Amino acid sequence: MIRLALPALRLATVLLCGSVALTSHANAQTRAETLRQVTGNTINTLDPTMPGSTREAFGLSMNVYDRLVTFERKPNGKGFIFDFSHLRGELAKSFDISPDGLKITFHLRPDATWQDGSPVTAEDVKWSLDRAVAAKSLGPPQMMTGSLTSPDQFSIVDPHTVLVTLPTPDRLALPNLATVYAIMINSKLARAHATPDDPWAQTWLKDHTAASGAYIIDTFKPGEQVILHRNDAWKGGKDGKLPFFKRIIAQTVPEAATRANLLQRGDADLSIDLQSSDVPEIEKAGKLKVISTPQFNAFTMVAFNMRVKPYDNLKVRQAIAAALPYEDMFKAAIFGRGAPLFGAKWTDMPPNGTFPQPLPEHTDLARAKTLLTEAGFPNGFDTTFSYSVSTAQINDPLAALLKESLAKIGIRVDIQKLPDAQFGTDVTAKKLGMFTDTSIAWMTSTDYFFRNFFTGDQRWNYSSWDNKDLETLAQTARFERDPAKYEQDARQLIKIAAADMPEAMLWQPSQDAVMVPSIEGYTYWYHRQVDFRDLSRK
Amino acid sequence: MPGVFRLAGRRLAASLPVLFGAVVLTFLLMRVLPGDPAVFFASGPNAGPKEIAEVRHQMGLDKPIPVQLVLYLRDVATGNLGRSMTTGQPVVADLVERLPASLELTFSALAIALLLAVPLGIAAALRPHSLIDHAVRFLCTMGVCVPTFVSGLLLIYMFYFLLGLSPDPTGRLDVFATPPPTHTGFLLIDSLLAGDGDSFWAAANQLVLPAVTMALFVLAPLARMTRASMLAVLGSDYIRTARALGLSRPRIVLVYALRNALLPVLTIAGIVFSTMLGANVLVEKVFSWPGVAAYALDALLASDYAPVQGFVLLMAFIFVLVNLLVDVLYGVVDARASAT
Repeated sequence: MIRLALPALRLATVLLCGSVALTSHANAQTRAETLRQVTGNTINTLDPTMPGSTREAFGLSMNVYDRLVTFERKPNGKGFIFDFSHLRGELAKSFDISPDGLKITFHLRPDATWQDGSPVTAEDVKWSLDRAVAAKSLGPPQMMTGSLTSPDQFSIVDPHTVLVTLPTPDRLALPNLATVYAIMINSKLARAHATPDDPWAQTWLKDHTAASGAYIIDTFKPGEQVILHRNDAWKGGKDGKLPFFKRIIAQTVPEAATRANLLQRGDADLSIDLQSSDVPEIEKAGKLKVISTPQFNAFTMVAFNMRVKPYDNLKVRQAIAAALPYEDMFKAAIFGRGAPLFGAKWTDMPPNGTFPQPLPEHTDLARAKTLLTEAGFPNGFDTTFSYSVSTAQINDPLAALLKESLAKIGIRVDIQKLPDAQFGTDVTAKKLGMFTDTSIAWMTSTDYFFRNFFTGDQRWNYSSWDNKDLETLAQTARFERDPAKYEQDARQLIKIAAADMPEAMLWQPSQDAVMVPSIEGYTYWYHRQVDFRDLSRK
Repeated sequence: MPGVFRLAGRRLAASLPVLFGAVVLTFLLMRVLPGDPAVFFASGPNAGPKEIAEVRHQMGLDKPIPVQLVLYLRDVATGNLGRSMTTGQPVVADLVERLPASLELTFSALAIALLLAVPLGIAAALRPHSLIDHAVRFLCTMGVCVPTFVSGLLLIYMFYFLLGLSPDPTGRLDVFATPPPTHTGFLLIDSLLAGDGDSFWAAANQLVLPAVTMALFVLAPLARMTRASMLAVLGSDYIRTARALGLSRPRIVLVYALRNALLPVLTIAGIVFSTMLGANVLVEKVFSWPGVAAYALDALLASDYAPVQGFVLLMAFIFVLVNLLVDVLYGVVDARASAT
């Protein structure tokens, strides 16, 4: 009895003894200088490289940790979007790339300090980069996409200069150093908490920070709220400017209706995950500001798993792609809030190498029927269509329309709504035949999309597409330094995708950021989270 | 009095197999559920088979299930319930943090429910089939019929959104307020201990709507049980005798009848309490209440084994304690019960 009762005893003891008070840091700041964001999700770690990190944890790390470099932003509609092709220094003051593209030199800011006041040194940067490529975390597989694989590639030139050496002139090496996982860590502080089993202090950094970024953590309560205050010694801002907000409250409010209420009452300032069906109404009421940005680094698709019959048959895939009611699905599922990826006019070669871009997919039931007969299924067949429960709000209407339309050409669809964990497992095990999901890439290079989503044996190659020509071409494009040739390769890649139809592209859903009218500067980022550093109140 | 302790000791010992069974059953159930947590948690943009295997290894899921079970039992015996992947924290720490929130809400809701249900039940029993009786029946039916998330959202809409009487329905304390130093985890008690009237008032304000939402839902069993048992008692011989002796009506109803009628109500209250604690997940979600039920649901949806197992164990333990407490109270209310 005593043994089993121990957890409860411990609970009771802790309850009784109590813990230290959680005092919020600076109450002196006014409400106007405080930003309150409400979200339905959870920040579950302070170390974004931890396996299982939520997207919200990624967003938080952008505000707390610096990277060597960061993407610029450019105006887009009422807000801004990130600019993948322009980078500036963040913890680094500047950087040079050697003419052959194999050496990147970073010049650190001499006056930069960690949040504990100690100076930032090249040694810290080297340790952080080593950690990003060597620790068992989400870091290495991402860094690999930029040819950053080994600590040997990072060397200290002098206390304020770090050199990164590349085996090949990889176009994605520098952008990778601007992404979520390439955080710069105060190595002296982190090392003090490392153990022989945990040389990269991964356990300690889950709940603690060793950062230099614009905001400092006051309170971290996973699943409840995170409170930050501004780091007034921060040097990484554009032109050295400090962010406007002195205090940030990022609060988890699970109920979408409550989040909308909070915004409408003016008690919360910003939310990026309201129910999509509520947003048009909020926009019409005109009391709140809505910034809708089509997620131009994402695409929603109907995937055909080519390892499962009959989807190994090109004509079957083409038949279904011709039978999908694109326009109706676009209106019913996402209320037309997004950018269509169907209905393009070109036939053989796309006009440019941008991906995702609209493909020549059109609803044409007669053609679908012919293709299906040619494929050897004049009477259709029975199949399934799957999606995850968490996306049901969007995919219920989508699935119903798909089922109705495919029935017209004789394909009988059984709709399977699967719990998220099971959906992920089945997708990874390549068990599902036809399903829908949204894929997102942090980097908007065409070759990066193709390498991640259309090649290899991993989860994200939803259609298990195995096309050797495509693989070779994507690898060639990756290291292509001539922009004109790269563009040509990219167009060729898209042409192959349009012809082979591994996935029927649907659209890029919009991210709807809803905020009180006084908030300005909202930026849509590749990680699809709020960067508090961009925002101000007028 | 020693009898009470002997009873308590015997009952706790008898509950050990139940707790053990709950641990093993939940453990196995979680593993039977479809969905591979390693895949779920390794779903970074570039996570391949290698990363999935690594996460599986970190979570200990690469070992055979019997080995996992033995390891888990050993951990549980030493007070370690594992680590939650959803919050990144040890499960024990999460439960310690969140249990007081759930308990405070449930106790308040039960108190409100009892304060409403017992008088309503008595009133209905005193005038059976009257207008009052029908009104009480109607109120109870409405309380049960309307799901808590509907009544919760309606209350929020009315009292927060339209009238602005309630503070914003997000959690236990205004986000801009400073919480009182933690002693018990119960904000009402902690703020009183700190002598902080403002915090007490703020916490009580936050508590009203969710507690009322839950109280409405459990009004029916309590009021109906009070009414039925009151009716039975009021019709009994000794009440007739008391009336014949000319005792005052309030004295008959409140002292002689109510004390005996409360026994079944007590049993129901115990069950209602345990049910509310585990099943108030919708209320916790609607009011962003950082309680244990919402925590367990999030974990379940993510196939996060440890928190769900820890939650079930905790609930089983509380259920055992509440039943024990009800039995002890039985003895206090009815001397006959303490003999058995």
